[in-house]
Amino acid sequence: MTARRLPTGGAWIDRSRPVSFSFDGVPLTGFAGDTVASALLANDVDVVGRSPIEGRPRGVFSAGIEEPNAFVEVSAPWFEPITAATTVDLVDGLVVESRPGVGRLSPEPHGTRPVAHRHRHVEVLVVGAGPAGTAAAIQAAAHAGRVLLVERRQLPGAPELADAGLLEPQIGTTALGLYDDGYVVLHQRGQLETIWHVRAERVILATGAYERPLAFPDNDRPGVMLASAARTYVEAFGVLPGERVVLFTTNHTGYEAASALVAAGAELVAIADTARGGSATDAARAGGTDVRSGWVVAGTSGEERVTAVNLLGPAGEQEVVEADLLLVAGGWDPALQLYRGIGGGLRYDEGIAAFVPDGTGPPWLDVVGAAAGDGLPACTPSWDVPGDDARKYVELQRDQTVADVAKAVARGLRSVEHVKRATYIGTTIDQGRTSGVLTAGITNRLLGWQPDAQGPSNARPPAFPVPFAALAGLDGGPLLDPIRTTPIHPWHVTAGAVFEDVGQWKRPRFYPRSGETMDEAVARECRALRTAAGVLDASTLGKIEVVGPDAGGFLDRMYTNRMSSLPVGTIRYGLMLGLDGMVVDDGVAMRLADDRFLVTTTTGGAAMVLDRFEEWLQTEWPGMRVYCTSVTEQWAVVAVGGPLARDLLAAAGTDLDLTNEAFPFMTLRRGSVAGAPAHVCRVSFTGELSFEVHVPATFGRHVWDAIVAAGTPLGLAPYGTEAMHVLRAEKGFVIVGQDTDGTATPDDLGMGWIVNTGKGDFIGKRSLVRPDTVRPDRKQLVGLLPHEPGLVLPEGTQLVAGTDLAPPVPMLGHVTSSYASAALGRSFALAMVRRGRDLRGSTLVAVVDGRAVPVDVTDPVFVDPEGERRDG
Amino acid sequence: MADPSAPMRRSPLAGREHDLARISAAEVPFLVHVDVRCDPETAAGLDLPFEPNTVAGDMTWGILWLGPDEWLVVTTPVEAPRRLEELRSAVADRPHSVVDVSDSRTVIELRGVDRLELLATGCGLDLDPRGGWVPGRCAQTTFARTPVILQELDGATRVFVRWSFAGSLVDRLLAAVDVLRS
Repeated sequence: MTARRLPTGGAWIDRSRPVSFSFDGVPLTGFAGDTVASALLANDVDVVGRSPIEGRPRGVFSAGIEEPNAFVEVSAPWFEPITAATTVDLVDGLVVESRPGVGRLSPEPHGTRPVAHRHRHVEVLVVGAGPAGTAAAIQAAAHAGRVLLVERRQLPGAPELADAGLLEPQIGTTALGLYDDGYVVLHQRGQLETIWHVRAERVILATGAYERPLAFPDNDRPGVMLASAARTYVEAFGVLPGERVVLFTTNHTGYEAASALVAAGAELVAIADTARGGSATDAARAGGTDVRSGWVVAGTSGEERVTAVNLLGPAGEQEVVEADLLLVAGGWDPALQLYRGIGGGLRYDEGIAAFVPDGTGPPWLDVVGAAAGDGLPACTPSWDVPGDDARKYVELQRDQTVADVAKAVARGLRSVEHVKRATYIGTTIDQGRTSGVLTAGITNRLLGWQPDAQGPSNARPPAFPVPFAALAGLDGGPLLDPIRTTPIHPWHVTAGAVFEDVGQWKRPRFYPRSGETMDEAVARECRALRTAAGVLDASTLGKIEVVGPDAGGFLDRMYTNRMSSLPVGTIRYGLMLGLDGMVVDDGVAMRLADDRFLVTTTTGGAAMVLDRFEEWLQTEWPGMRVYCTSVTEQWAVVAVGGPLARDLLAAAGTDLDLTNEAFPFMTLRRGSVAGAPAHVCRVSFTGELSFEVHVPATFGRHVWDAIVAAGTPLGLAPYGTEAMHVLRAEKGFVIVGQDTDGTATPDDLGMGWIVNTGKGDFIGKRSLVRPDTVRPDRKQLVGLLPHEPGLVLPEGTQLVAGTDLAPPVPMLGHVTSSYASAALGRSFALAMVRRGRDLRGSTLVAVVDGRAVPVDVTDPVFVDPEGERRDG
Repeated sequence: MADPSAPMRRSPLAGREHDLARISAAEVPFLVHVDVRCDPETAAGLDLPFEPNTVAGDMTWGILWLGPDEWLVVTTPVEAPRRLEELRSAVADRPHSVVDVSDSRTVIELRGVDRLELLATGCGLDLDPRGGWVPGRCAQTTFARTPVILQELDGATRVFVRWSFAGSLVDRLLAAVDVLRS
């Protein structure tokens, strides 16, 4: 036995709380406060995994997030595909398995920990609760309001911290990234994971420093460990990682680590110190330690673990000493991943042979303590030693050696960024925390450059791997995106509606009766509307109230036709174009009063249209006296249509005169429907006699229920969006966004009649006379009747001229809407076809699954072209 | 006299009283909400708040600042007819817009001591008295991608949410409470 739990000590563990876990199927125990790495060492597990390319045994190398070696998969009680064993807190029932430097995803759904996201605003955020961070937090709290101190591990026992007036410090917390204006994202681990979104006026980074390894042959063998990590295992976890210790150091902190191990009972066999003497050397020699000044470690031996260390003297002397633990103290690199991720630069500090902040970075950011280089030991700039380059590992997780760096440099790469991409050094879970400066130092040396020529490759957030599940938080499953429902929604649910997503809205697509297929249900709903009556929940229509003396003139500029001439109480259909002359939305404008219009938009276009109105009013025409207010949600809309719609509305109870004479098509009347205050519009999207009943949303369900009750004896069927699509397509009414794709002008849609070029300017007007917009071979809206009347052409089907499908085949157009029609007793489609209007009466070919299906090109209006049905 | 139309009306969160109780909240339905737009000169003669994100008035006639030329008046059905008529006549000779949006939104009143913690699970604003979030403040913002207006009262926070989003918002608040209490 070489590594073991000490009988006493371990500031971070709670020996009264044993914890059971398993590693590679073997049940083991540790203590609360252990990491997987400390518990494995306590159980004398040398080999935590194998290296990814060469399959070499690998053990615990560090004690923190810089770990490049000991990787595990966590499969219970939560799942993480790969993470460093030094960062996983031991919990009861934890199941971990060794991973060779690369993770794997299971196809099965995984358990995840509950995740909370919390937003916090503070005056000062201090990252890191070491001596510098603690002092900074205490000082900040004396001057600033809210000071938050976060720490990846545990807080120091400083009593003044408790009385400093800080916000409750958060431990187990790692900063993932700094973003503009002091926005910082933190990850807090635990049974409840938390993602903190902190907005800070000032951020103080006291992130400390990472000990740097050295590259020597076989430096990857289990039993080779960063000196400071070994000290942490002794002092924080009460674990002695080895009995016979050799230290390879460039600075005095290695001596301190070795002393801590000796104090815990280890034997210090020898010290190889790259420096030639010094006070630490003298003190160690005085204590009887064998210190070799100017010596280096030139290799290790052993199978699964270090059993001997090869020492190399300045004059080439060689000596082998038996040892089971080799401590490496190559110097200290300030932990600047967060600082560099927000644009902070580096400069080389010769005294400590390390890269420190150069004073750049955002003005709200300070770096203090060891992270700024303060207090780091003087150190000889050593990166690697003589020996076989191919066995001197620079990047343990990627099995990359000094030879690999040399190969990259030999190919002409000079920037560490290029070397990184050629070797994958630093593309690791630890983001090159142990390999970055080493690689820069070796690259500089190979190029004959000075150590300050270039520092480590850059860092980007997240500075520490974070599970996607944690970033998603609650925003998964049914909470992935807000779900919008209408006031009538509960009725649809009870009626067994099948819903479709329209933007964030849930809209009933159809209402299947028992045993009905979708096609059967849609056909029944369509038949009901054309022969009796149908009712649709149209509440999702976008609605905007446009108010002010210039409202009419404003709408004249937004739509292609004239709205200012509408008499009060009448309605006009309008098309809205982009600056390029292409149709972007449609709807109707109702004049409620001289200075007041209600315009409707498509369900999906509501926000876009309001934004467009506001943009033009605010940026181009601020002098227009017009205000726009969204009232989409103010009004529930119940659309009643069909030959019996008039009787039905009367039966539901209304004080309105519903006759054609008193209430003609494209007018609106205010009155009551089923006792509710309403405005009722004579508009039709199906070609049938229709009334759109707008009532305040809180009355929506009541009015719907009343209309359904009154209509059921008359054969009323509620219909969904699918039947609505069929019914409107039978009339050749387009849906913006389905039949159009942002490249259709009004004329392309056969709606040139709606463009009023005599009324003055409107958005898109000038583009309508561009040569490309008026060329005769544009795609135009037509109807199609397939020769196979039972075949519903897939939407998107390409249309060509002949049956010879050997490429190249000129494409003439495509199907935009396609349905089976109950009214026609056959399938039909709408399509955009080049010179389509000229092709009416001819036959084209639709290509369906490679098969040529002849289709007749027709006018797009299939039902009631004379419009005789709309007045009932 | 009771409103004869009351039985015909249904609020967005009717039937979810139990769920709301789990987050120490209740719906305050059927208030009168009126969106008022006019330029600041017109508004100068009215008792409107001009400091951004503040509320003037009281619980029977409260006015929330929504923008440099936009306010939301929140009042009761009893007060509404007279007070709105006064408002309309005060601005009658100037360009303005007064639009009834009473049914556009409902109000969820959060009354728990941890209500601001709860909101901080999905809202990026500084909802902390030490940051200035005190009674009398309001803000248009989002909670978990849902547009809301927040108003801080004494011991409670009002969340104005559009009808269509109300159910989904309560689901999200319930999930957040479950996580915070886990």
